[in-house]
Amino acid sequence: MDAKQNNNRRWTQIDADKGMAGELDHSDFRSRRSRRFLGLLTSGFIALSAFAASPVDPVGQLRSEVDQVLAIAYSGQSSETVADRVRPLLEKDFAFDVVTRQAIGPGWRQFSPGEQQKVTDLFSRLVIRIYAARVVGTQRPNITYGKTVTLAPDRCEIPTRVTAANGDRPYSVVYRLINLSGSWRIYDVLIEGVSFVANYRAQFDELVQHGGAAAVIKTLEAKLAEPINPNS
Amino acid sequence: MNYLIPTLLLVLTCVSGFADQTSQSKPSRRGPATARETPAPKSSQKATNSGDEFGNEPVQKVNDPYERINHTTFRLNDSFTIHAVKPLANGYERIVPHAVRTGLSNFFDNLDFPVRFGNDVLQGRFVRSGQEVGKFVVNSTVGVGGLFRASDHVSSLVDVPAEDFGLTLGRWGFSTGPYLVVPLLGPSTIRDLTGYAGDFALNPLNWYLIFSNNRLISNAVGYSISASRFVVRSPGSVHAYEEMKEAAVDPYIAVRNAYLSHRAAQLDK
Repeated sequence: MDAKQNNNRRWTQIDADKGMAGELDHSDFRSRRSRRFLGLLTSGFIALSAFAASPVDPVGQLRSEVDQVLAIAYSGQSSETVADRVRPLLEKDFAFDVVTRQAIGPGWRQFSPGEQQKVTDLFSRLVIRIYAARVVGTQRPNITYGKTVTLAPDRCEIPTRVTAANGDRPYSVVYRLINLSGSWRIYDVLIEGVSFVANYRAQFDELVQHGGAAAVIKTLEAKLAEPINPNS
Repeated sequence: MNYLIPTLLLVLTCVSGFADQTSQSKPSRRGPATARETPAPKSSQKATNSGDEFGNEPVQKVNDPYERINHTTFRLNDSFTIHAVKPLANGYERIVPHAVRTGLSNFFDNLDFPVRFGNDVLQGRFVRSGQEVGKFVVNSTVGVGGLFRASDHVSSLVDVPAEDFGLTLGRWGFSTGPYLVVPLLGPSTIRDLTGYAGDFALNPLNWYLIFSNNRLISNAVGYSISASRFVVRSPGSVHAYEEMKEAAVDPYIAVRNAYLSHRAAQLDK
């Protein structure tokens, strides 16, 4: 949102510059030309800086993030090593505060800031653990990226199609991204039409209603204490 | 006996469809949300705006009036999957190489062509039914009797949504009806369970089984096909179930939400 306001401000400035160049028509030709050149240079520079500050292409960013994760996932290392190496990448790629807030639903507002922080921490650990265990493999799948769909000025979704190298049936994965301070971050993933955020939200609903934050924290801690089988 | 189950299911669907219409016409005791399932997260702007924190809507109630029985069946199915299907799937995976397993899975998918084609026609989707014919011809010939998905190399035949009678009923305007956990079969709805019977009737392979005079042979053939199909598909379903269970904080709700969302997304395609 800030980036957008900045852009608007910059474009207003460019329009003002143009206006200034218009007023110079009464002065002599040389000065007019040099001033016009200066004006052009200034507006060009402003336009350039506006471009640099504008959000990056979401598909390009997602593609590079997925490539980075897959490069580690298919490096032939053990799942524990993969999980450790993938974690910092996922923490950067996912907007875990948005993901957790959505997964909890309207009850989130009743949580204290401390509880919100605790739940975000536990839930992101669970998601990273599950994700890391799932991406480990021997043959890297082929991923094709579809056209970006704009959902709101600061949100979009990118459909992808994952084709496994071993001949298994291809499946659809849709990434939903939110623009936070000029960078796109994942806030939901839909596999074959099933949103993982909506799925957790349905599961947390009763817990939140009857046990509040305490019940959610207890359940998440118990879940994280369970062993995980990466090959299941 | 062969007619009994489909007939029963058809009656059930008609009843549930009728019951839904009447319940929608008068205000429900538990509010309007009770008659609807969780909205499907679709790849469209409309769907995205509901069910996320930007709308901050409460979770909608799911049509699950038999939740207690469903829970019990879910637990039974869980132990059946872990103690019977999983060892079977593991054994199959150990004995049969991956390439052969993929081939067999493709073979059974190709064999189900009449079901998908029939449903495309019933829904009036003639382009899709043409694509299904194309897929069947290419996979049966170039793909050596359906063992290879040769159609994946033809751009117009990639990614043709597979139709079934549950989806056909949905497009005809039937609501899902209550959510059901069926013994051995897993998550379903009244509509999809009826669809299961419809698909059975749409498959010419079963016509022989139904109308054959030689009950012994037709039953033997029928059971062999069903058993082989079950074994071939077991690793995929066991893996999917275990992954879901491992990630879930409440497996029953996780599976229910995933099933209903997935079916709703299929209906949208």
